Amino acid sequence: MQKEERLMVEGGLCKTGIDELDIQLGGGIPTGSTVLVVGSSGSGKTTLCMQFLINGANNGERGVFFTITEPLFKLTKNMEGFEFYDKKLIESGMVNLIDLRIISERLGLDTEKYSVEDASALLDILRDIADELNVKRLIIDSITALCYRLQTPEMIRDFIFKLGSFLAAMKCTTLLTSEVPPMTFQYSQYGIEEFISDGIMFLGDLERKGDLIRTFQLVKMRGAAHSRTKSAMSISTKNGVELAPLLKSRE
Amino acid sequence: MANVLIDGLKERISNAIKINQSIGILLPGSNYSDLAQAMFEYIHSKPEDAWVYVTVTKPYDTLVKQYDYLSEAKNIKFIDCISRAAGILRSDVNCVYIESPTMLEKLGLEIMNTFKEVDDNTKKFLVIDSLSNLIIYNDPDIVTEFFYHIVNRTRARDIHIISLAIEEEGLEKHLNRLIYLNDKILKVRDSFI
Repeated sequence: MQKEERLMVEGGLCKTGIDELDIQLGGGIPTGSTVLVVGSSGSGKTTLCMQFLINGANNGERGVFFTITEPLFKLTKNMEGFEFYDKKLIESGMVNLIDLRIISERLGLDTEKYSVEDASALLDILRDIADELNVKRLIIDSITALCYRLQTPEMIRDFIFKLGSFLAAMKCTTLLTSEVPPMTFQYSQYGIEEFISDGIMFLGDLERKGDLIRTFQLVKMRGAAHSRTKSAMSISTKNGVELAPLLKSRE
Repeated sequence: MANVLIDGLKERISNAIKINQSIGILLPGSNYSDLAQAMFEYIHSKPEDAWVYVTVTKPYDTLVKQYDYLSEAKNIKFIDCISRAAGILRSDVNCVYIESPTMLEKLGLEIMNTFKEVDDNTKKFLVIDSLSNLIIYNDPDIVTEFFYHIVNRTRARDIHIISLAIEEEGLEKHLNRLIYLNDKILKVRDSFI
């Protein structure tokens, strides 16, 4: 076992590799947790998740990124601009990018609307892939888009609880992205996603003199003595996601 | 006469920064260009030190046109807070551009990130040009909070700060509160000429 890998396993914490975030988490995400990464469009959910996955892979933890919101070529094109993004990790299989719509097509499912059976079949496939690849880090981007394909609130509720049980049984640390409308303080579209999550990371915006400042807040993390302070979040091609203390003076 | 003034300013800066971690320079607007020239000449004369120059007053492009030796200087990195907001889109190896001078947290991050690239044994200096211009774009309270953070973070990393403030009517109350966070205040007066 490599030194870095041993460091991550010790104490059962999964380091995000984003220094300020790991400090806020008290070292990292408790291994095996399911964390909801909430934010509106453009808030940085996908970037944060990808950085988490890449940082893990750099330290020997294999990961998988299931996307349903954008095609793979678009996802990789957007990520290629970031210095943390390493194509070799994709080529070596340490980071696996999978388009759930393609999986759905191959399963013969209607890619736009899922029945209860379709959703269950998809969950089974997700589990098989994660098991076969022996991943330690798993991303679903996004749970909102996945549920959008289910037709009734009952189906959505049922699916989310099944997803929760399936993730809880797995040994990997999971980030689920959740899309919410801008400038609102809600955690999910369907109001249930937060109940299957051990942690919630809220990515928001703050308006200052007409400019939007990205913010980050760790709302909940079971099993961790974490900070709940709101931080400013920066995304740059050089450093990816970074957090800094938010200036709080009244404006 | 101009050389005497600039040499005098350089000497005052040099003496003050030798014994203080942070110095604030309060000056009338009419002396700004002399002080800027003195600052850049002083920085140019210290190639062994590492400098980060935050500009909220003039775009980086304007500064390098005015002081052409800056474009080749290895000991100074710029953080330009105003070009992007003014619609000037360019990229330079020696300059980091901040989208807007209201993004103070981002500015703080970029300052510290730039210094992270400097080796521990090199003397480090930060210039903020200027606090008065940051107040133009931001609420004075938030600039004060930002400056507290920067002074504390740079102190912890043994980085010296030189912060400029241009005296303006109506800003005295805020500038006094800010500038007195420094260990030493230099007041530049017209009479100094």
